[in-house]
Amino acid sequence: MEIIEKIKTYKSIDNQTEIQKICLDKLQSSPLPNLRSEQWRLSNKSKLSNCLDYSVYGNNSKFDMPFPENSQSTIRLIIGENCQIKLIDKNYSIQQLREDELLKYIKEQISFFNQNDNWSDLLNLSLSCKNNILGLKINGSKIPPIEIFSHASSNSLNAKTLIIFCEKNCNVELLQVNLGEDNSSLSQSTFFCLEENSSLNHGVVSYGLNKSNLLNSLNVIQQKNSEYNLGSLHFKFNYARFEIRIKQSEGNARTNIKGMQITKKDEQISTYTKIDFDGPNGFLDQINKSLADDKSHAIFEGSIIVPKIAQKTDASQLSRNLLLSNLAQIDTKPQLEIIADDVKCKHGATISQLNEEELFYMRTRGITLKEASKLQLSSYFQEIISFIPVSKDRWDLLDKLLNEN
Amino acid sequence: MQSKMKESDPILEIKNLSASTDNLPILKGVSLSVYPGEIHAIMGRNGCGKSTLSKIIAGHPSYNITNGDIKFLGENINSLEPEERSQSGIFLGFQYPIEIPGVSNLEFLRVSTNARRKFLNKEELDTFDFEELVKEKLEIVKMDQAFLSRSVNQGFSGGEKKRNEILQMALLEPKIAILDETDSGLDIDALRIVASGIKRISNAQTGIILITHYQRLLDEIKPNYVHVMSDGQIIKTGESDLALELEKKGYEWTDNFIKET
Repeated sequence: MEIIEKIKTYKSIDNQTEIQKICLDKLQSSPLPNLRSEQWRLSNKSKLSNCLDYSVYGNNSKFDMPFPENSQSTIRLIIGENCQIKLIDKNYSIQQLREDELLKYIKEQISFFNQNDNWSDLLNLSLSCKNNILGLKINGSKIPPIEIFSHASSNSLNAKTLIIFCEKNCNVELLQVNLGEDNSSLSQSTFFCLEENSSLNHGVVSYGLNKSNLLNSLNVIQQKNSEYNLGSLHFKFNYARFEIRIKQSEGNARTNIKGMQITKKDEQISTYTKIDFDGPNGFLDQINKSLADDKSHAIFEGSIIVPKIAQKTDASQLSRNLLLSNLAQIDTKPQLEIIADDVKCKHGATISQLNEEELFYMRTRGITLKEASKLQLSSYFQEIISFIPVSKDRWDLLDKLLNEN
Repeated sequence: MQSKMKESDPILEIKNLSASTDNLPILKGVSLSVYPGEIHAIMGRNGCGKSTLSKIIAGHPSYNITNGDIKFLGENINSLEPEERSQSGIFLGFQYPIEIPGVSNLEFLRVSTNARRKFLNKEELDTFDFEELVKEKLEIVKMDQAFLSRSVNQGFSGGEKKRNEILQMALLEPKIAILDETDSGLDIDALRIVASGIKRISNAQTGIILITHYQRLLDEIKPNYVHVMSDGQIIKTGESDLALELEKKGYEWTDNFIKET
């Protein structure tokens, strides 16, 4: 209940927006997620409690941008700082959603929320003030790459919300970067709606510093003939959850997901995915990789839901995991729920250690054990990282961060 | 049985070597000396310990030396790490070269070549200089440059993998190369390319140990000595005609030899 009180203290009832009021009402009936539910049972309770322990903070402090200045061809937006945008070109337009459009969309989303599945979103929308909600509608082609940053300041719990409509026939490349300072918690909720024939190449790179926490929720609705590609990387968080919910609302859509989480020390990072096929001929190719070292804990739980209407669905979900220490822990559970009878669905999970024979081979070529392990790990990352839309100049930084890690 | 001693010092000198893995003895007192310019062939049935011997010389961490010494250029290397052995000039050509997805072949070759060059106090090569060197060496094994941009051994055919091993040997310029069944899985043309590559790389200062089952490699590269291994021991050593005799009589003949001795 503490978190509710905290939100109320932060925002008196008169200052709350309609959305905040609705979400707070819902949260009040379940101030914490049911920790026995599948989605939350492996969550480290004390870390979750610590994550919610910081003061709620709506203002945004300045932070050091980790990536070099964006080139002219990239559109950079920082949620909470420069959310005013209206770009109209002969090929495309990027405009902010009107307040009434935002309200209508969020209300509609909330009506579908399930208390356990969407607890992170309820918390986010209870906390997120107007300035920290960025809503965009994008249409057209030849759209420059977009970068969107969310940031949590030290000793505070910040909430940022992103809502994007990709209108019919548009192709978008979007990199979302979530940054946490020392002792901070970031609640990030993202909502995408991909209209017919649109495609979105989406990268999510989230990393923190000492004792950073993250509740990252991603909701995607795909209309027919749309394509959604997600490459994600989460690392350096004391506690982080990445929740992905994708609905192919009419089937006939394509989804590709390549995600990775890296845990060290006593960190816990988890990924939960739920892919709903609500129509025929849907396609999914998903791979999630975890790498756990020291005493850390990595979790993956994925579910693919194929109801009777989703005939001819072609879905694959693979969880690959690497344990680097005897004390590290990995939990993985890819699941299929299939009612339709004419589908091609597969899932699998592997947990292994660094390949001794590969290491020996490299060492017989003069490469030290340390270098050989590094090469092997970078090859393990490669498949995922190459799927994240990041330009070369930002690559170097990502490389450096991964090596530090 | 030991190869004939010469006045010069051996490159590699193995004395009464016994080794085990998971407490299971594999090598049971192997002795072998390789002098500069010599080519030795080791033959024997599957499971007789040939590949284990090669891995132990290269420093595989899964095997324990329980007795005996391996000396390389006069120094005992029993406790050296595999990378230290490689840097100092020991090369193991793998029977089944390992695929390393995601690691570019070019970068892998450059890092390993520079590790050896550093040991030899030679200047390390940047990407551009290395590309020049590697192009020159590719010609030895008749490999296409396209192999360089692929991941190490990934998607290579059996023959391409073996040629990639010889390319590595050419780049590392080892003092001694142990080639474990380099001829297996090669068609006649590929065998000739690989054999001619080995001959071009070896010289009067280097030594070669060929581990093989077949005479056809030895037709291309004539060994000075042939050793027959059985049950973790070298049971017979002779000159190149021993391989021909073995081809004719089969390993049953060596069984008789064990019984007699």
